[in-house]
Amino acid sequence: MAPFTDNEVLDLIRMVELETLDIRTTTLGINLLDCADPDLESTCEKIYAKVVHHASKLVETADSVAADYGVPIVNKRIAVTPAALVAGASGATNLVPIAKAMDAAAKEVGVDFIAGYSAYVHKGFTRADHALFESIPEALDVTDHVCASISLASTKAGINMDATARFAQVVLDTANRTADRGGLGACKLVCFANPVEDNPFVAGAHMGIGEPETVLSVGVSGPGVVRGALSRLSPDDDLNTVAEVIKATAFKITRMGELVGRETARRLGTVFGIVDVSLAPTPAIGDSVSDILELIGVDITGAPGTTAALALLTDAVKKGGLMASSSVGGLSGAFIPVSEDQGMIEAVRKNALSLAKLEAMTTVCSVGLDMVALPGDISVDTLMGVIADELAIGMVNSKTTACRLIPVPGLGPGETVEWGGLLGTGIVQDPGRYGCAGLFRRSGRIPAPLQGYRN
Amino acid sequence: MGRRFLTAEDVRRLGGPAIAVDTDTVVTPQALEAAASLGIQIQSGGAGAYTAPTPDRGPDAERGLTNLSHLPEPGGAARGDDRGVIVTVIGKNRPGVLAEITAHLAAAGCNIHKVSQEIVEGYFHLILTVELGPSASFESVKADLEALGGPEDFVVRAMHQRVFRFMHRI
Repeated sequence: MAPFTDNEVLDLIRMVELETLDIRTTTLGINLLDCADPDLESTCEKIYAKVVHHASKLVETADSVAADYGVPIVNKRIAVTPAALVAGASGATNLVPIAKAMDAAAKEVGVDFIAGYSAYVHKGFTRADHALFESIPEALDVTDHVCASISLASTKAGINMDATARFAQVVLDTANRTADRGGLGACKLVCFANPVEDNPFVAGAHMGIGEPETVLSVGVSGPGVVRGALSRLSPDDDLNTVAEVIKATAFKITRMGELVGRETARRLGTVFGIVDVSLAPTPAIGDSVSDILELIGVDITGAPGTTAALALLTDAVKKGGLMASSSVGGLSGAFIPVSEDQGMIEAVRKNALSLAKLEAMTTVCSVGLDMVALPGDISVDTLMGVIADELAIGMVNSKTTACRLIPVPGLGPGETVEWGGLLGTGIVQDPGRYGCAGLFRRSGRIPAPLQGYRN
Repeated sequence: MGRRFLTAEDVRRLGGPAIAVDTDTVVTPQALEAAASLGIQIQSGGAGAYTAPTPDRGPDAERGLTNLSHLPEPGGAARGDDRGVIVTVIGKNRPGVLAEITAHLAAAGCNIHKVSQEIVEGYFHLILTVELGPSASFESVKADLEALGGPEDFVVRAMHQRVFRFMHRI
């Protein structure tokens, strides 16, 4: 093998030292199906015991890999089998004890989050799904580390509008129960169209039923690195050059994820799952997807041209990632969590980025309306409408879309809430004056689109 | 595969002076408490007292441990070829920096394959490609080198060559 040139060596040093290259998360997936028990208390005991048993070495192992390879691993997380599947056998109607058991296990092993307080209801509810829905507001209020996610729609099944309406109410109840913390509970609650079963990123992480007993997956980060590479281009370089630079950078970032994933899995004695190649911003200056869009050439995120620039970015990231690893999975693209990205916060503050433009952007990014603050007094039908629109985009375009919306109690459009840490600063967006009470009143399901019939 | 878990409820139901579990059974903390308070001994794998088993990561993990080594490493390197370390030193130029670094490497029994140094406007960067000696551990060499210099002088960083291989080789 040819020795490394000085430029190759300094390239990596620069990424780590100056451009905040890091691994956003190593997520250990743990199957909990064998924890099902006719007695809820025993179910909780088993969940606690199994999570602690498997994850007790996760933080220590990830830290040792980070030290050895010189790349920080910011978060260590756990994804588990959707709780509604595990709880079914108990027949319990209040599933808060399961959330508490998950929370206690997360605290015991020292991870940031444990996700998988989840249910799949895109076609309908089981008794356990219903019980989970009912207990989400309390569960997210009384726990610190538990994240909940719900599948409400898919390209194959259509949109379960009954579930969507109930989910909107659950979001409002969760925000209101945590009103003293700016509706923080809703930051840990997400709904999906076409959820992926191997997503390592919270709040939507969970362990799908096709996954093995345990699996270690990695979510990379790296907006700062892409931003750094683009800032070295001339403003006259054409868009093909821009795409090439993003691809080459995404390749390098993905390879770091692959290395960390393989090595962490090997040291833990489990299988390596996937690398989620998503540009995941943080509130830190420079670690911003919005900055990248502005470097590609829009005045400010939200201006005309933003969706086109985001389409180029997301596609180039995927292409670079796919060349770098055969294990690309999860959501893989570009995240646009509004409150977590300094550039997007600024764009909202300047009235450049509207809710409508955000929705348009989600047709080409990899997630959806993520970390969007809404007025605390938003009606349940309007909230349902915002969610249903996003689900429709995912359903029709055969892609994953999600909503993590936070109606901030007591605040109206333009007002600011600080959630702190990675969750950042929310500025309440204006959903407009009109709602969709008529749509809300009709119950039922939006049938699967033509795209769903490909067998 | 035997019983996956033993819960407090199981302990109360089974009772007796002793409960035998399989070597891979996970006994919950609540079950251990219940057994202790009821004076029941939990035995795993015959007569021994219960000890937490090694986590059963599943059938894929068993296969993964033997097959993972066949996953190709970028750049066609053999797996286990992990003795290479890239040392970078960046800082203000002064006499003796290279000597200081290489003295520490020599003391640790490391072999230097390549040296590259450049000075621009009073600052320098030095890049060393190093092979760890058979008795040297990466952790100790890294800690030793990175303790040298200082913020006003120079900063040393030691990284596995494997990181560069993953990033820069197809």
